[in-house]
Amino acid sequence: MRVAVFLAVLVAGCAGVAPDRAGAPASQNLAVAGLMESARADAGAGRLANAAASLERALRIEPRNPRLWHELARVRLQQGDYAQAESMAARSNSWVGGDSRLQAENRRIIAQARERAGRSER
Amino acid sequence: MPRLSRYLWIALLAVALPVAAFTLYLDLRVRSEFEGRRFALPARVYARPLELHAGSRIPQAALEQELRSLGYREAAREGESGWFVRGRDGLEIALRPFVFWDGAQAAQRLRVTFERGQVAALRDAQGRDLPLARLDPLLVGGIYPAGNEDRLLVRLAEVPQHLVQALIAIEDRKFFSHPGVDPRGLARAAVSLLSGEVQGGSTLTQQLVKNFFLTPERTLRRKFTELVMALLLELHYGKEEILETYLNEIYLGQDRDRAIHGIGLAAQFYFGKQVAELGIAEAALLVGMAKGPAYFDPHRHPQRALERRNLVLREAKNQGFISMEQYAAARAAPAAVSPKPAMGTSPHPAFLQLVHRQLRRDYDEADLRSEGLRIFTTLDPRVQAVAERALARRLGEFDRQRRFGEPGLEGAIVVTDSQAGEVQALVGGRDARYRGYNRALDAGRPVGSLLKPAIYLTALSEPSRYTLVTPVDDGPFVWKSRGAPDWRPANYDKQFHGAVPLRVALAQSYNVAAARLGTELGIERVLANVRRLGVERPLRPYASTLLGAVELSPFEVAQMYQTIAGGGFRAPLRAIREVLTQDGRPLRRYPLAAEQAFAPEPVYLLTAAMQSVVREGTARGLKSWLPPETAVAGKTGTTNDQRDSWFAGFTGDRLAVVWVGYDDNRAARLTGAAAALPVWGETMAQLDVEALALPKPESVEHAWIDPQTGLLADSGCAGALELPFVAGTAPAQHAPCAGNVPARIKGWLERLFNR
Repeated sequence: MRVAVFLAVLVAGCAGVAPDRAGAPASQNLAVAGLMESARADAGAGRLANAAASLERALRIEPRNPRLWHELARVRLQQGDYAQAESMAARSNSWVGGDSRLQAENRRIIAQARERAGRSER
Repeated sequence: MPRLSRYLWIALLAVALPVAAFTLYLDLRVRSEFEGRRFALPARVYARPLELHAGSRIPQAALEQELRSLGYREAAREGESGWFVRGRDGLEIALRPFVFWDGAQAAQRLRVTFERGQVAALRDAQGRDLPLARLDPLLVGGIYPAGNEDRLLVRLAEVPQHLVQALIAIEDRKFFSHPGVDPRGLARAAVSLLSGEVQGGSTLTQQLVKNFFLTPERTLRRKFTELVMALLLELHYGKEEILETYLNEIYLGQDRDRAIHGIGLAAQFYFGKQVAELGIAEAALLVGMAKGPAYFDPHRHPQRALERRNLVLREAKNQGFISMEQYAAARAAPAAVSPKPAMGTSPHPAFLQLVHRQLRRDYDEADLRSEGLRIFTTLDPRVQAVAERALARRLGEFDRQRRFGEPGLEGAIVVTDSQAGEVQALVGGRDARYRGYNRALDAGRPVGSLLKPAIYLTALSEPSRYTLVTPVDDGPFVWKSRGAPDWRPANYDKQFHGAVPLRVALAQSYNVAAARLGTELGIERVLANVRRLGVERPLRPYASTLLGAVELSPFEVAQMYQTIAGGGFRAPLRAIREVLTQDGRPLRRYPLAAEQAFAPEPVYLLTAAMQSVVREGTARGLKSWLPPETAVAGKTGTTNDQRDSWFAGFTGDRLAVVWVGYDDNRAARLTGAAAALPVWGETMAQLDVEALALPKPESVEHAWIDPQTGLLADSGCAGALELPFVAGTAPAQHAPCAGNVPARIKGWLERLFNR
């Protein structure tokens, strides 16, 4: 068990990704936090293209932030772009580190995207 | 005399009828063409806007350079935007307003401080922290109508009164009262006609008619047509409409192959200003140029331009348009114009070509050249400038060292954002301003060892058979296939190396090992993975294809390596972010897109092996450019007789592909490491790149390995390496060197590695 913990720390250190605890702020970077805020507002108001644009701007600043990839996956799902929703969620998962909650949310998006894609094909 | 008068009548009719018919014809032309005429406006192409925030990886000097190329002036001008000044620990910037894809951004005052090559803080004028600011983007070119006419349309209401008055004072004093033709000017023209030369006496209306409808020859017939058309134009249209069209039509100079038309563009080209911001002296200078834009070119003939300006000012004063004080002040002003940018239709024609091609998938050529679309691209001017310089300088140096004669070495570079697939720079040859052959896009060259990562990726996709330390055979190898001569690949050093760890075979770019491994795995299978990585060109299913007997452009190679850099996610390379209409309405976005092409584990392992290429393999020369912590992953490529020299590699934030060789396919006698690598290194070293840290898939674990044996190491093993393995595939045995440590530590290590 101790070894497992040690390995996990070692591994997290190697990958250069700090474990992202659930509930922690999405980013320490004010610019990223601000863009994510306006993306949420835009997505809530149905301005999905604007929301995606803000998230892409944020990703240019923090390309390894799994929360941003996740939010983009959500927007793509809303836009009905199921293939990209799935890809973005998978991408989020590849950066997710120890955040099991985010991981579960990503898996949910992937499942939803597949389901809706299947439905729209029929 | 009735008889005589009848003849006179006939004669009169004979003249009048054709004249009337001609006039009717001209009237039709004037009305239909003037009415229907819209100025064709080029599509305007912008670079990415620079985003500033605390932590931006941009040193102060680079930001200053960006501002200067945007035409920001280095002096405070209260009440204006578009300037910056240096402070104690940073810059104060008066940001210009700009309409972005997601809305208008107002003019804004910024204070930026720097620390160790990064933005330390970003504040507004009141000293409050700002999360983010966007500079206006640099205009990097256009897609132009015929004749490369460029213009920025203005409304008459935006044009300062003093500019219109100066124009009237110098060109056509009676403009507002004459019927399109000035009788006195006409008389003067008639006199000069008798002396055999047609000249002078043109009203603004006539000048407009001339530019609009007529060819520039000077004949009596053309002069007559001009007169009639001028009268007709005035008959149908108001003075203000004619004046506005004149101000937008007028030709005011040349920027390489780009023709500067209209007062709006001239204000920007010569003064970096909106037309409404032009002062009296500036307006007079532009108005003065109307008579002869080449002769009075303020860049090439500043003295002539100054004298002409002063003449315009004197006329404006004499006509009572400006006061004595205004005149004196304007006359005293220097004829200062912005430095002439190295622009033409674009300073970066290779990148523009890429943009143009990507646009043509969605737009008509005619629309691109006339609708005034605003294209927002991914070009990073800083990266572009660095790459252009590095390529030109290095190639110049190689030419001097090697003296292989003319024409000299050529090269190409593609730089992308390694995560999003945005193209940040594209250099199509050592003369980056040359608008011709674009090697980055169109030079299909044999890629040599650049395809090898696809072989190893295929192998590593079977973790139960292949790990980074699995021995692969680099002993003599013959490939027999029916209908083709036997194929006996050789190594660069003409040696065979026996059993070598897989990672080392890639790092040292051993051909024989790669050929054997690739044929064992199946040529079709490997080539399918090459396609999955993003190569769309047809690949011949021969064994030699595995060793790079396939021609790809640097751009195609970048697409292939992008998928590796993206952790197995294939993101199509994009040069365009957004397209807006002329009046700023969003038309189309080109969103970030990616598709998972490979599972993360094999890509992670492959990347580790490609880091070995740089750390200990054929690209180890990179250490003279970047510190080892950057952990670059890459691959060199060299083809037969060293005709082509390649390096493709990536850091945490950027990917670049460099090709060097001769256009005529002469042997360059330069390996990938000797030619392409230094260009790559010199480029990346100037860009504050981020270290590479790929996300470690959950099922991957690291183990310390003794490089001699490929077995588990401990602190007793010199030069032990930490390598990734898919869980459960790391070697279980210890290397002999791992025995010479005290039992206590060894026991701890064993617990660690054996779990």
